[in-house]
Amino acid sequence: MPNEITNGNSVISLKGVNKWYGDFQALKDINLEIKAKEKIVICGPSGSGKSTLIRCLNRLEAHQEGQIHVTGIELHETMKDIDIVRQDIGMVFQGFNLFPHLTVLENCMAGPNWVRGIDEKEAKERAMSMLEQVKIPEQADKYPEQLSGGQQQRVAIARSLCMQPKVMLFDEPTSALDPEMVSEVLETMVELAKSGMTMICVTHEMGFAKQVADRIIFMDEGEIVEENTPEEFFNNPQNNRTKTFLDQILT
Amino acid sequence: MSIKLGFKTSSIAITALLLSIGMTAKAGVVYDYIKNNNELMIATDANWAPFSYINDAGEMEGFDVDVGREIAKRMGVEARFITPAWDVITSGNWNMRWDVSVGSMTPTESRSEVLNFPAVYYYTPAAFAVHTDSTVTNLAGLNGKNICTTAASTWEMYLQGNLDMLNAPAFTYKVTPGTITSLVDGSACLDDTRLGAGVRNDGIIDSVPMIQNAIEAGYPIKFLGDNAFYEPLSVATDKGNNDAELDAEIARIIAEMQSDYTLSLLSMKWFKNADGSSNDYTIAY
Amino acid sequence: MFVDTVVEDKALHKPAFLIGLSVTVLAIFFAFNFTNTIFGEFLSPVIGNPEESGLFGRFVVSFVLSVIFVLNLLAISFARLKIQILIVWFELFLLFLAFAYSFDLKLSFIQSRIGLMISKGLFTTIYISAVSIVIATAIAIVGAIAKLSNNGFAYAIASFYTSLFRGLPLLLQVYLIYKGLPQLGFMVDAIPSGIAALSLCYGAYMTEIFRAGIQSIPKGQWEASRALGFKSGLILRKIILPQSIPIIVPPTGNQFIAMLKDSSLVSVLGIWELMYLAKTLGQRDFRHMEMLLTAAMIYWGLTIILEMIQARIERKYQQKT
Ligand SMILES: Nc1ncnc2c1ncn2[C@@H]1O[C@H](COP(=O)(O)OP(=O)(O)OP(=O)(O)O)[C@@H](O)[C@H]1O
Ligand SMILES: [Mg+2]
Repeated sequence: MPNEITNGNSVISLKGVNKWYGDFQALKDINLEIKAKEKIVICGPSGSGKSTLIRCLNRLEAHQEGQIHVTGIELHETMKDIDIVRQDIGMVFQGFNLFPHLTVLENCMAGPNWVRGIDEKEAKERAMSMLEQVKIPEQADKYPEQLSGGQQQRVAIARSLCMQPKVMLFDEPTSALDPEMVSEVLETMVELAKSGMTMICVTHEMGFAKQVADRIIFMDEGEIVEENTPEEFFNNPQNNRTKTFLDQILT
Repeated sequence: MSIKLGFKTSSIAITALLLSIGMTAKAGVVYDYIKNNNELMIATDANWAPFSYINDAGEMEGFDVDVGREIAKRMGVEARFITPAWDVITSGNWNMRWDVSVGSMTPTESRSEVLNFPAVYYYTPAAFAVHTDSTVTNLAGLNGKNICTTAASTWEMYLQGNLDMLNAPAFTYKVTPGTITSLVDGSACLDDTRLGAGVRNDGIIDSVPMIQNAIEAGYPIKFLGDNAFYEPLSVATDKGNNDAELDAEIARIIAEMQSDYTLSLLSMKWFKNADGSSNDYTIAY
Repeated sequence: MFVDTVVEDKALHKPAFLIGLSVTVLAIFFAFNFTNTIFGEFLSPVIGNPEESGLFGRFVVSFVLSVIFVLNLLAISFARLKIQILIVWFELFLLFLAFAYSFDLKLSFIQSRIGLMISKGLFTTIYISAVSIVIATAIAIVGAIAKLSNNGFAYAIASFYTSLFRGLPLLLQVYLIYKGLPQLGFMVDAIPSGIAALSLCYGAYMTEIFRAGIQSIPKGQWEASRALGFKSGLILRKIILPQSIPIIVPPTGNQFIAMLKDSSLVSVLGIWELMYLAKTLGQRDFRHMEMLLTAAMIYWGLTIILEMIQARIERKYQQKT
């Protein structure tokens, strides 16, 4: 692994980030440092800018002010190597976004084979081992639509992991799932956390947050309102807005 | 149109600038091309029996085709036929896609702006015809009626009262139609007339051999009145190329074909009457 | 339409509808008066000489015809769906043949010319359409990508192109290309001109089809691909286009079928394709209807074949996803 990750520098660093959609400011003065192997959970009410923030981290969205550095590289409009940065950052979406015309195995092989320059045989081995890790190797030859939501999301995680990313981003990975499928996806994420992956998760699964998060970030109206360890966050919230939010989702 | 003209003029200007060769140097260009390729490209109609049409074997045949072949033969080259739509031929600007038109074209003032007419090779009478059930008995009876004819033809010009034939025998406008129905296909008017008097038209004007042919094929039509006018029919070349050498050669060959009676024989071969007698249309009226 | 599991009564089996239908049909047959046709002759034992049978004869003929018509409908309504479709197709086809027969066609004339129509006309039609379709497809892919790109030049050129070529009648384009290109110094023969006109015109329509097809792919597919670090070209080639094909195929098939028939417009350039021969071969003998109907049947047959191929391709893509 490159130095900047192991020597204690931030893998991801945001300084004074502002973002607007037209006149509407979606992110306000965001400052955030995330170190290697850290697990961050972002929560907050709907429309508070959680997705916007996490999507700025691999530049699916553009910010207008401030600096975002990812694995030491600054993200900006005219950068040449965005593809290289993105290859190192896995992302899991609320809606899975699997490629419906490819089988589960092909979904997982696509990244390594097409952009990492890994030959088909090795890509396949890696894909199979990742599918085993998310516990669905037997589904390898099916098409995504033949799978349940929970299975699809686990394929999506495996697809990202096949790229051997340095960071994984999750944007509400379980909120499109039926309740009985939530736990199988969370289990996968917990195991991934145990393996030492750097993870940034937008989620309202507070059990998961308590179990794995190093820090919890609470956002409201585009701002980071509170940032704390899980114990402090749940037992001793500082901000009134945090309290109101916790009251709502914990009851 | 103005854009096109502008481009053309400017490209001519550029050509004139770049090459010291003026427009006059074009003389002989088509003729040389014919000789070099050993092929005379002849534009004619494929829908114009007995002048030119496609036979069962898929080959061009007819009076015009025979004349075209003979011209090529006397030039010492092969004949090849091409059959673009009539208005594509008459509008000029051939761009050397073909060399001559041997397609029974009447020289007119307006056509002579874009085409040259080096040699008239025969004359046909044009006449009006009506359905056999028609109550109209003389040409005056067609005044104000709906007359059908071929689009962009001399007959259409005649109906419009602006027939500006060159070197043609004198004639008068004998009918003032109420409506002119101009159809693109040569024989479409005949088919319409067949449906009955006054159904799609009240009468047609066409070349006499054409009407003759239709009557022989059993069409319920009849000639009406005397022939309307005689039209000279000429070989045409593209004025854009203005190849005096080619024009002179065609004029020479046609004159030769007239004096050795080749043209007369061809006419009598193709223009037969119902009683078996033949017409020589190559001598003027 | 998606079929419900509960079936309504067939309209035909409701007495009120049946009676209403019978009366209407009777009225129509009566209005059109079939007394002087073969039906009148057939019924002459009942009505006497059809010419003199008057209103009585007219009524009897139309009554018999409408009874046959309604009984036929009733009989078909009891058959299974597939059989129903077959019978109705067959009967409509018979009616079409009867229509053709009414022209007093000379079959021997058709026989003597059909070889030429197929070997020369049909061949040229297929040749021109096939080449044009390939070029139009290539144009459409490029055009659609240009229209979706945020490159100002590409977008402007592509949208100007689609606007112009969808905005002009095809026949006008044929003339413009044939007469206009030489003015610009490009000498093109009739067939290449025709192919150029067809390709450009259909390329413009198909650009819009392809664009819509590409745009209909959810943006999540782009995001997932980008998040994996794929470049735009790769995303288009491997992710977006393969998914748009099933969406693009049906309307594209329609364009192919339409082009096959629009290729007849190039006949003004003197290209001896099917329609040109249909119009000219019958001329000397004044047997136009024979040739036109023959061409009609050939075009129709060809379209049916194309429709079958299209259905096949559609089925193939439906299985895949
Ligand atoms: N493409 C866009 N154009 C305009 N406004 C947008 C766009 N995307 C998001 N927004 C606005 O930005 C704000 C933040 O949106 P975002 O999706 O980041 O919220 P969120 O915290 O993820 O909410 P949720 O919990 O509902 O997913 C919202 O008010 C939203 O309406
Ligand atoms: Mg969100």
